[in-house]
Amino acid sequence: MAFTGQEFVTLTEKTMLYLIIIDKEGNVHYANKRSETLFQLPGDQIIGMSIRDFIIDEEENKFEEIISKCCNLKSPQNYTFRFSPASNTGILTLKFDFILYNDLIYASGIDITEENKEHYSLISLSKLTKTGAWYYNPISEEMFFSKECYNLHDLEPGTPITMEKAISYYRPESRPKIWKFLEDLINKKPTDYTEKIVTEKGTEKWIRVLGEPIIHNDKVVFINGSFADITERYNYLEKVKYNEETKRLALKGIRSGLFDHHFDINATYYSTDFKKMLGLPLDKDFISTDLLKKLIHPDDLDDSIKRHIKGLKKEGHHYFNHYRIKNKKGDYRYYEIYGYRKKDKNNKTTRMIGNLIDVHQRKLNEHTIAENHSRLLAMINNGFAYTVLLNTSGEILMADQDSLKIIKRDFNVDPTTEPTLFIEVMPLNFKTSFFHEFNEALKGHTVKKEIERTTYKGALQWLESKYTPIKDEENNVNSILVSFHDITEQKTAEIARKEAHIKEQELSNLKSNILSNFSHEIRTPLNGIVTISNILLSGEENPEEREKLSAYLDESKERLLATINNLSHFSEIETIQKNLNYVEADMNYTIETSYREYRHFANSKKLKYVLKLDEDCPSALIDEDIFRTAINNIIHNSIKYTDEGKVLVKVKGEKEKIKITIKDSGIGIGKDSLKKIFDPFIQESIGLSRKYEGTGIGLSLSKRYIEILGGKIEVISKLNQGTKFIITIPKNI
Amino acid sequence: MNILYVEDNKINAMVMNRMLSKNASKVMIAENGPTALEMVKKSTLDLILVDINLGLNQMDGCELLKRFKKLDMLENIPIYAVTAYAMPGDAQKFIKIGFDKYFSKPVNFDKLLSAISKVKQKIN
Repeated sequence: MAFTGQEFVTLTEKTMLYLIIIDKEGNVHYANKRSETLFQLPGDQIIGMSIRDFIIDEEENKFEEIISKCCNLKSPQNYTFRFSPASNTGILTLKFDFILYNDLIYASGIDITEENKEHYSLISLSKLTKTGAWYYNPISEEMFFSKECYNLHDLEPGTPITMEKAISYYRPESRPKIWKFLEDLINKKPTDYTEKIVTEKGTEKWIRVLGEPIIHNDKVVFINGSFADITERYNYLEKVKYNEETKRLALKGIRSGLFDHHFDINATYYSTDFKKMLGLPLDKDFISTDLLKKLIHPDDLDDSIKRHIKGLKKEGHHYFNHYRIKNKKGDYRYYEIYGYRKKDKNNKTTRMIGNLIDVHQRKLNEHTIAENHSRLLAMINNGFAYTVLLNTSGEILMADQDSLKIIKRDFNVDPTTEPTLFIEVMPLNFKTSFFHEFNEALKGHTVKKEIERTTYKGALQWLESKYTPIKDEENNVNSILVSFHDITEQKTAEIARKEAHIKEQELSNLKSNILSNFSHEIRTPLNGIVTISNILLSGEENPEEREKLSAYLDESKERLLATINNLSHFSEIETIQKNLNYVEADMNYTIETSYREYRHFANSKKLKYVLKLDEDCPSALIDEDIFRTAINNIIHNSIKYTDEGKVLVKVKGEKEKIKITIKDSGIGIGKDSLKKIFDPFIQESIGLSRKYEGTGIGLSLSKRYIEILGGKIEVISKLNQGTKFIITIPKNI
Repeated sequence: MNILYVEDNKINAMVMNRMLSKNASKVMIAENGPTALEMVKKSTLDLILVDINLGLNQMDGCELLKRFKKLDMLENIPIYAVTAYAMPGDAQKFIKIGFDKYFSKPVNFDKLLSAISKVKQKIN
């Protein structure tokens, strides 16, 4: 280069170039006018200063290197340095040519501050945004990576790079996609993609690549592109996407709504799905409280507002409420509202966030359960006398109120609050067979058992215990229902039926007895008559004997007749009953008449025969004929079976009835016979006199007649000591 | 031939005694069970006739039969029921409890006397 120091100086006074001469140490020997802006000093003061003092620290070493290169190699050097002038006017970037001449270095520089600002900021931007630049020449297949591109691949900047090599950093499965990308660009299509690379160091990174084809003569001659590390962003987005998805799924799954209540504007933000469900306007972010109130079930509104006000005043931050809300279809559903309250300094709630949870099904289930429970209880309380539900261990799970009352009263335990074994509190009568029935029920059989017991109040009660096994879906017995059914009425009816049946049988037996007895009573005198007739017919007897036999014959004949007469009386009872002729009769008179009728009979037996009348002369409403027949039979009977002592006939009036007593000191009646004395034909006697032997129908007839008249007849007797008949007859029927 | 006739009805006892005595039998009458039991111990008997209904409160003919059966001395002595109980089934009932023969009242003397003569033949 034809160049002299003087030329350098004179030529450059007016130039925009910075012209500085320095020695090998960097001390300034000359600086042109322009350079004064660099040093911010007048030209004479610059001379002798070290230029190093003006170069920014980090480039000082580079400066040394350049200077020494310049001196040692004796070749011109070109480098850009940044200067920080003494006055703080910012950094100047100067691009210098350094030439060694006469052991001095001639530096000429141009100000590239403005251009470099862009450059440096781009570099820092590239670093900060982790974005590199690249280009590719499809014709020469030249590939270029910017420094940051190398950094992003964990490669040493300047490492030779080709398209194949660049693509090898992608995952094998993605590589075809990248080649396709390149193909698109060559086909003039600007494009971009996001992919994953594995760097030289094995780090996985998500990158975003942009490419732009440069076209010349309708042909792609060059491709510019960027290469950005978006791993963080990608991960963040993925996370956001995932969270969003989770949230959506969660919100779709539950029929709940998120809400955000702002108290300052008295409005609430509801999640979209919830708004959709309730038919709330989707275009409005906030729903006014008044609008929501209209959707709350009228029955729940007042209570829910009360709860709301109270809930907001509560300590802490939580909030709870519940009410029914009308949905789009017009149905009300139950919601529970859980919130978290934000408060201001004055402890006033300003905002509340939470969710509305649809508990409709749960509420319905609860309702059904409660309803079923009360139904079961109603069944238990009304269906049976006593009902107890037991678990498989025999503990009481549930019982009707009556049973509970009894158990509490008698055993002082409450099966509803403490586990109670049924065996320990059950009625004694059932205990003995409980385990048998319970075990049968556990096997799945329904068992019944009838028990007779006395109630708390002493009444007789018949209970039927029924053990019903209750099975679960798998047909296992999980509990046993024990019910005690009061069957007293049925049982009583059954017993009555049985008794009636027995009576009927007795009656039928009685009939055949009557017949048999009649037969006997007729055959006995008939035997006498037949035998006597036989004897008399043979004609062998002397007249005296014949007379005696005739008398016997008469007696037998009379007895036979009496039997037949009484029989007709007896059979006429029904007719008599229909033709009663009631009159008010003086009892003293009536009884005395009968008494008189047998005075002769009693006298003939030398008995003490006594009549005692009532001084008040009581009277009674009677049919005189049958009453007298009844009394006569008894008086006759007493005298007949009394051989010594006395017979007493007595009338005694009482308040509403009259008592007639006929007492004798006769042979008496044995215990066994006493029961049957009023049965027809029973009475017979060992009395010596057979003259008045009856048919055995008399007392039976008396009893029937007295009963027809509304009275009754009793007999007290002791064998060999006598008999007392007491006839009671009402004064009025 | 000695016959014991247990009968509480005096007329019947008397007239029966008459009829049976005609056939050369010696007839003893007992009015009730206890008397009859006394009498069998004192006498040698060939036949006993028992009425069933012996009166209210009294041992009846069936009970008396039971007592007779316990006595060794009566082991081979026939005991006949002579009774006014003559409903269907009565005959079988009395035979069943141990009477050797049954006669209903009024008594058919042809039958009774023919039975007695058979007993007499056996003795002879």
